[in-house]
Amino acid sequence: MVRLQLDPFLNELTSMFEHTTEKGSVWVTLKHSSDKSKVQRNKITTAGKELEYKCLVRATDGKKNISTLVGTKDHQRFQASYATILKARMTSLKKREKKDKRKAADVVVDKKLPKTTKAMDVDKKQQVPVKRSSTANP
Amino acid sequence: MVYIVPWDDFVERCVQLFRASPQNTRYVMKYRHSDGKLVLKVTDDKECLKFKTDQAQDAKKMEKLNNIFFTLMARGPETDITEVTGKEQTAQPAKRGRGRKQ
Repeated sequence: MVRLQLDPFLNELTSMFEHTTEKGSVWVTLKHSSDKSKVQRNKITTAGKELEYKCLVRATDGKKNISTLVGTKDHQRFQASYATILKARMTSLKKREKKDKRKAADVVVDKKLPKTTKAMDVDKKQQVPVKRSSTANP
Repeated sequence: MVYIVPWDDFVERCVQLFRASPQNTRYVMKYRHSDGKLVLKVTDDKECLKFKTDQAQDAKKMEKLNNIFFTLMARGPETDITEVTGKEQTAQPAKRGRGRKQ
């Protein structure tokens, strides 16, 4: 397990995503941790001091393991960078197909008509010629 | 393995699980580009909650969940999370100014 600083960790994570494009998975684990052993933790709590917690982030591609600790001050920045990496890399997920087909049908049918519910679209297709003629003749 | 279908249920139960046992709960994400699949798992080694998807829209929802978990884990399980924006209302000690928006 390689413990890295925040930015090198993000770089390594990006390269993991690049390597697993054809096959393989990327696992990312988040855990609330103080990074101290149980003995140390007990000592600190009995001394009356507060334990400092961080977020332990681990990543692996099945072969290489990397990890980093994100503290309270860094978490906003890390979270933003992490989100950017995921957005850029998770491109093989499917887009919403059903909604796209429906949207295409709606655009064709009611350009001139006011907003209607989708359930009425089927009827509208038949009524369109009738309605147009009625509005054309005052 | 418990696969939960409604996203909001999954999020709510995950946060509850984390708040109940912050020491033992972990959040795991597995992404396979070759299959186009994403699986999320939250477990405290007693109970396990999972969510799987192949939809791009769920990746966006997952980002919000990531924000929630980063906030909870970095700041503490008692942090107040205001509905997914990741901005908390608990009074934080003054941070070093980085020119943040106010």
